[in-house]
Amino acid sequence: MLRMTQMSTVLSIFVLFLHTTFGESGCTSADGDGTFGDDEPDNFEFDCFSQLEFKDSYSSLTCNFTELPPHHTNYSLALCTKEDSNYVCFNMEKQEDAYFLQFTDILSNKDICMVSEMKRRVCRSLVVTDIVKPEVPFNINITYQKEANEYLIHYSTPHSWKKYLKDKLIHQIAYRQEEGTWKTIESPYLQVKLLGKNLENDASYEVKVRSQPNGDYFKGMWSEWSASKSFRTTRELHSTETYSSVVVVILSILGFMLSIVMIVLMVTFWENRIKPAVWPNLPDHKKTLEQLCKKPKNNFDISFNPESFGYVHIHKVDGIRAKAELENFLQPSTAPETNLPEKFRNGSDLKMIPVTTDKSNLNPSVTYRGIWPAEALHRLLGTSQFAATEGNCGSSTYEVCHSNGVPLCKDGFNLSSAPPQDPSGQPGPEPLSGDTASQMLPTREMRSPNNEEAYVTMSSFYKIQ
Amino acid sequence: MFHALFRSIFRVLPLLLVLSPVNSSSCAMGNKTEIRVKYENILSHDVDELVNMSAEYRDRCCKNKKHENSKVFFCNDTQEIESLQSMACNMLRFFHKQKISKDFRWKAALVSCRTLQVLQCKCERHKKEKVCTQVNTHNTEDTETSEQSKKKCNQEFCELKENISSLRSCWNKFEKIISR
Repeated sequence: MLRMTQMSTVLSIFVLFLHTTFGESGCTSADGDGTFGDDEPDNFEFDCFSQLEFKDSYSSLTCNFTELPPHHTNYSLALCTKEDSNYVCFNMEKQEDAYFLQFTDILSNKDICMVSEMKRRVCRSLVVTDIVKPEVPFNINITYQKEANEYLIHYSTPHSWKKYLKDKLIHQIAYRQEEGTWKTIESPYLQVKLLGKNLENDASYEVKVRSQPNGDYFKGMWSEWSASKSFRTTRELHSTETYSSVVVVILSILGFMLSIVMIVLMVTFWENRIKPAVWPNLPDHKKTLEQLCKKPKNNFDISFNPESFGYVHIHKVDGIRAKAELENFLQPSTAPETNLPEKFRNGSDLKMIPVTTDKSNLNPSVTYRGIWPAEALHRLLGTSQFAATEGNCGSSTYEVCHSNGVPLCKDGFNLSSAPPQDPSGQPGPEPLSGDTASQMLPTREMRSPNNEEAYVTMSSFYKIQ
Repeated sequence: MFHALFRSIFRVLPLLLVLSPVNSSSCAMGNKTEIRVKYENILSHDVDELVNMSAEYRDRCCKNKKHENSKVFFCNDTQEIESLQSMACNMLRFFHKQKISKDFRWKAALVSCRTLQVLQCKCERHKKEKVCTQVNTHNTEDTETSEQSKKKCNQEFCELKENISSLRSCWNKFEKIISR
């Protein structure tokens, strides 16, 4: 009995050992079916890469042989997954020189197995998220920013509108001058800037881009290069262009301001200065005459009618002039003296002594009608002659009534008495001015028997003046 | 005689207990860091996409409906993994509901399978193996059905929408816990 118990204990322990060994362990045999007969390693190497979200929710696996197997043997590749103690394999589709498979499970650990015709199977573990190969970037655009002298390179990636690799990629931008060496820049963003100062002026450049998982969770390899894009840098006249542009701007502003000033001046001085100089008015005779002659004052009477001068105040003859004329008159000369006695011989009334003066000396101051001072007449005619006069000589003044031999006084016309002159023979209180043309005798007392002749005389005064 | 019999029985029974499967729980004790990383980088995107797809369907008729398995939609404290397992296994039921849109059902099944995969859990009735195999191979033989109109509303559709919402909420809660 004791022996039976011991044997059962040993058997149970042995069974327990076997169960523990085979209970939860995976199949590590190359065959995958628990047998170890085909675990001979082969030297065939192949590389695989995965593409997440290749089509909708599907991911893909692509494998290539790095060492081709012998031609006489055919091999196939399969992707195997262990699910709940089941080993499920999916054969990959052969496409030219590569093997391809679409699947959805990217979380579980998988095995890639190479199966020969002889049902030999060589497997290798594979983590789909560690061999990710992103899709190729596209749509490269180069924009030149003149102000900053920089070239902005912008590109796109299909993963921008997918789930897993969005914002989890690193992009590499390669650029070079024509047939030069490639230079690279890496960026997690979808755009980079190239400084213009680091590039050759007026040169042609080529740019291309590729992507790779950033390694935080997804790992993998670089994608294929995108299509190249070429661009040409600006010339070196950047600084000089800036300077010339500034000069042009300043000159244009000055020209504009000058034109405005010219327009304002033209508008202001058009009527007064510019138009008369450019388009002078034809002379008008009437206006020209008026401009030449001084315009008379408003109160100046332009009329040759003696009657209109009735209100004009008659000024006295200038004493000095009268004296001068009188002296001229008193100088011994036959003509005036011979005439005198004949006149005084009449004796009835005082008559004007015809003063026949030299016409050359005739001037308005002489030919005017004035009142001879008594002394002058005395000296001229002599006192005896004066004594013979009648009571009419009470007045000490005598008025000339003749001028140029023309009788200017009517008979019986008493001359108006003039204020007595200063016996010293000083000039009268109203000396004559130079403009003695205005010395007019009252026309009503000294009217010329011939009015036309008076008009002629007045106009002649005006002309002489 | 009886003593020997009892001794043999009592000694065998422990052996039977030992010989029984090692893991009797439906979920393995996985690394929480690994769970968090897989959820943040892969599963969270799938859950968001499923929620957006669910929002495209009108659910006006779902407000007053009462569900049979309402307990499934609770995310119990300290039992988030078990709650997520229960929700995921429950969602697998709808994979064959032909009244629901095929793409919608397929996406819901995909999220359920990946949830169980990340948590390393199994379903009690072993439905997961068949459905997830079909999902992984995108076998549409059993899912051929008429396209559900987005205007129509049915009980199963309402229950699935609520299941999806509960799954998302529970995952957010669990992520905050394991991120600490």
